[in-house]
Amino acid sequence: MKDDKLTIVSFLCNWCSYEGADKAGNARLNYPANVRVIRVMCSGRVDPEFVIQAFKEGASGVLILGCHPGDCHYKKGNYKTLRRIYLLKKTLEGFGIEPERVRLDWVAAGEGERFAKVANEMVKTIEKLGPLELSEV
Amino acid sequence: MAKPKVAFYWCASCGGCEEAVVDLAEDILKVVEAVDIVFWPVAMDFKKKDVVAMKDGEIAVSFINGAVRTEEQEEMVKLLRQKSGLVIAFGSCAHLGGIPGLANFWNRDTIFERVYKEVPSIANPKGVLPKTKTKVGDMELTLPEFWDTVRTLDQVIDVDYYIPGCAPPPDIIMNAVSAILEGKLPEKGSVLAPDKSLCDTCPRSEKKPEKISMKEIKRPYEIISDPEKCFLEEGIICLGPATRSGCGEKCINANMPCRGCFGPTKEVIDHGAKGLSAIASILGIEDEEKLSEEDVQKLVDKIVDPAGLFYMYSLPSSLLRRKKI
Amino acid sequence: MAERIGVYVCKCGPNIGDKIDVDVIVNDVNSIKNVATAKSHNLLCSEDGIKFLKSEIEKEKLSRVVIAACTPKMYEQKFMKACEEAGLNPYLMQMTNIREQCAWVTPDKTAATEKARSFVIAAINRVLLQEPIEKKEIDIQPDVLVVGGGVAGMEATLTLAQKGRKVYLVDKSPCIGGLGARFEEVYQTMECAPCMLAPEMQDILQKENIETLTHSEIEDVVGSYGNFSVKIRKKARYVSEEACIGCGACFEPCPVEISNEFDEGLSKRKAIYLPFAGALPNVPVIDKDNCKKLKGEECNACEQACPFGAINFDDEDKIIEKQVGAIILATGSMLFDPKSIPRYGYRKFDNVLTGLQLERLNASNGPTGGKILLKNGKEPKSIAFIYCVGRKEKGYCSGVCCMYSVKLAHLLRDKLPDVKIYNLYTDLCLPKKEHQRLYNEAVDKGAKFIRSDGTENVTRVGKNLVVQYKTDTTKKKVSVDMVVLASAVEPDESTEKIAKLLDIPRDEQGFFSEEHALMKPFGTPLEGVFIAGSCQGPKDIADAVAQGGAAAGRILSKLIPGEKLELEPKVAEIDEDLCSGCSTCITLCPYSATHRDEEKKIAVVDDALCRGCGTCVAACPTGAARAKHFTKEQIFAEIKEVAK
Repeated sequence: MKDDKLTIVSFLCNWCSYEGADKAGNARLNYPANVRVIRVMCSGRVDPEFVIQAFKEGASGVLILGCHPGDCHYKKGNYKTLRRIYLLKKTLEGFGIEPERVRLDWVAAGEGERFAKVANEMVKTIEKLGPLELSEV
Repeated sequence: MAKPKVAFYWCASCGGCEEAVVDLAEDILKVVEAVDIVFWPVAMDFKKKDVVAMKDGEIAVSFINGAVRTEEQEEMVKLLRQKSGLVIAFGSCAHLGGIPGLANFWNRDTIFERVYKEVPSIANPKGVLPKTKTKVGDMELTLPEFWDTVRTLDQVIDVDYYIPGCAPPPDIIMNAVSAILEGKLPEKGSVLAPDKSLCDTCPRSEKKPEKISMKEIKRPYEIISDPEKCFLEEGIICLGPATRSGCGEKCINANMPCRGCFGPTKEVIDHGAKGLSAIASILGIEDEEKLSEEDVQKLVDKIVDPAGLFYMYSLPSSLLRRKKI
Repeated sequence: MAERIGVYVCKCGPNIGDKIDVDVIVNDVNSIKNVATAKSHNLLCSEDGIKFLKSEIEKEKLSRVVIAACTPKMYEQKFMKACEEAGLNPYLMQMTNIREQCAWVTPDKTAATEKARSFVIAAINRVLLQEPIEKKEIDIQPDVLVVGGGVAGMEATLTLAQKGRKVYLVDKSPCIGGLGARFEEVYQTMECAPCMLAPEMQDILQKENIETLTHSEIEDVVGSYGNFSVKIRKKARYVSEEACIGCGACFEPCPVEISNEFDEGLSKRKAIYLPFAGALPNVPVIDKDNCKKLKGEECNACEQACPFGAINFDDEDKIIEKQVGAIILATGSMLFDPKSIPRYGYRKFDNVLTGLQLERLNASNGPTGGKILLKNGKEPKSIAFIYCVGRKEKGYCSGVCCMYSVKLAHLLRDKLPDVKIYNLYTDLCLPKKEHQRLYNEAVDKGAKFIRSDGTENVTRVGKNLVVQYKTDTTKKKVSVDMVVLASAVEPDESTEKIAKLLDIPRDEQGFFSEEHALMKPFGTPLEGVFIAGSCQGPKDIADAVAQGGAAAGRILSKLIPGEKLELEPKVAEIDEDLCSGCSTCITLCPYSATHRDEEKKIAVVDDALCRGCGTCVAACPTGAARAKHFTKEQIFAEIKEVAK
């Protein structure tokens, strides 16, 4: 399977993880091109419908990165994300989607290296799991 | 003027929707007077060939309940669509997939194994499974195909309106029928029930505090619910906030939380996703800053079967529709 | 009308140009429906680039714009402004990052080009669904309410009170000045606190733009930033502020004597009283819980003694309503009561005092006129200070107790040249540039500083107080006449009530939670409500004054008389017809930006408070909530393209 077919849709929050991803760029750190970014203001904006839709539209993995707990620019958005995504992962397991295909993690605005690390790890995880290949309905 | 022709048909269903029509009690006489029922397998002796013989569009309205999971059902609903002016998806199963829709967590093979071999009450020593084609002597019997996936009615044919509920309550049915007979229907594709969710009409919302405190998850058997308290305040998952209203809160009034049979409101695509999002967002919110990842997991793990719970009635209509085979 | 989208891919010199085949993308995209034109540019952020962009919008009659370039975090505002200047609503532009998040991280040119192409198409799909958003502005009240007339509150009040703006200063006690006015001398300058504060207090009481309401408390606050409606309960004083000239003739005849809380219980006051000599405003107040007449008994002593008829037993509480644009909470702190730690012997033995009690003894307007005396009227020959009282129990260092104890050691030495001073400390907190010097001088003057392990125990043996302590492992004890407990700083008792009233959070120790510990230490999550002084955390006068000024500064820059307040445009909105009042959004908003409309039984968003995070939109179970500029449809459009 070619790398770029295993698409990973990544939701990055404007204040922390999006900047962290920019820092990774400034430092010219590499990660595979199948990591595709969608910018939101807060990880709390990530609706479970977004994650499911991403899988439905062909993604093999979804990465959600927010501010570290306690540092959310909007005070407490990431705490909701934490509970929502955990429950979503449990629910998706019932749909036959491995919980490792959805990863919620925290990347601060200055953490370019961490962003690259998480992105590369996610790619490896998805490569191991292979493409999602939902049933045709 | 000739009375409008009306048909009722059932697909993968329990028969509750047919009973709902009967439950109209005296009102049913009004219906019977106003229309000419030309096809109703459970109650009348019309045959498929009678429908085939009709002109396209001759049936004014077909009310079809039940989800579509066999070849026969698909054939019949397509036939009725051809012969009908309006097709109404009647009840949760036709609208969302309903309880039969939960079969989408399985497939034909696993279902047959379970039903014909594994259940404790079966006596099937040779492990015989039904087949589409079976030779009996020198003849061949054909059964309608049984598919892996249960589908909603609108995933098979074009549906004009939906009457929601498991089963639709009498007043929702009467309002819909009146609207049809008077030609006062909303835009095509509408669900014929209010656009708001249950919280709008729920009796427990009178005393609901502005901020809901859902400290932990409790299953309904764990406590005796206080009829004046919002279920969420007591830790019981109620899908009322995410579910269309119009049912009269029958379950709530019987001290059981809403399980979502009326489906989502019109802006929501995936009922289960929104239900779980709302619950997870308010669960444990008071101390959320103090919860570690393990604490969150412990809190949420109390929900035993989230996929089954949040998609109880709406699995085939959800974004993913079924479990990955 | 058909949309005309202009797509501009920046090469950013070699930064993008060398890593991505920009021309391929431009060519591909040109043939997409609704794209009127697709071009590349070498450097869109340059003056030339901006000119180019503006002329393109006009020339090509563009209805929407997509810019593929560096990170929007750098120049999105710049490009939005360019669109606005060219007559296009700035929210009809979408910028996508093909530099930091594409060109710079993808070594393979083909893969990078494919990724950038996907981003550009996603942006095109998204921009088609974007809506013009107009700047929202509201009229505001430039006036400000300051709650608490201590040093922080006074600084804020004086900074804000200028032409065009009124400040209402509310204090629950009958006088202003707060804790600061009760000290005789303050560190590190060792100057006289009443002298230091008197000009400020006079200014406040006399300045035209300031209305001071002492013996008053806030009772209700509704509204939001720019437009708060506040109800203040001006408690009955029973003495007319207009008629009273402050002669004090009413005190002597009053037959009631009770413990004076302003002297920390070290003296008595009458039912009609001034908290201390020199308190401002110089108008007494009658304590209605202890006044004979107000309790229904016969007594007219003060009324008869007053030469100006200023006593009014028929006075009543008044509710005063004020419209303000912002509120500063400067409600201060109090000292932890060591009674709850029995080993210190507080309230058990005579001559065990808190630091604040010693301050009052030392004050020339205090119970002894400034003489340091034991309960028996004699001067102490030896005094032990115990530091860190309550520190372990509270879990934090109050940061001012070491310094005030060092200061008191100085003052004691001046008044009692031969007194022995023992300072039993666990850690010494001398953080600022002058503090070490003051400490050194105290040592030079003969004060003993002994490091103990914090387990001090006070008992009475005969006439002496014996303090037992441990240094490392050795048990020691010292016999003294007076023990002073450097007690921890706690938030004032009004903090809980005010936090509940305004629905703002408090931290674990009970102080008001600041919006951001480092970047916004004087804000709260409730927009328009600020905090200053020790109500936010223990601090000394210098820091309290600085914070009061900072909070005032924020208000000065935003709430300008005659100008409107610009609101965050990318807020959440709730569709009335779909909202069913489930309260999910109200429960989860940290800014209390949504509240229930009791009549319609739905949730409503206050545009002045919403910060646009979208958390409520993701949680809304009926889809009634919508995030402007980050709608579900817009995000779905991006997902559709990038998930392929």
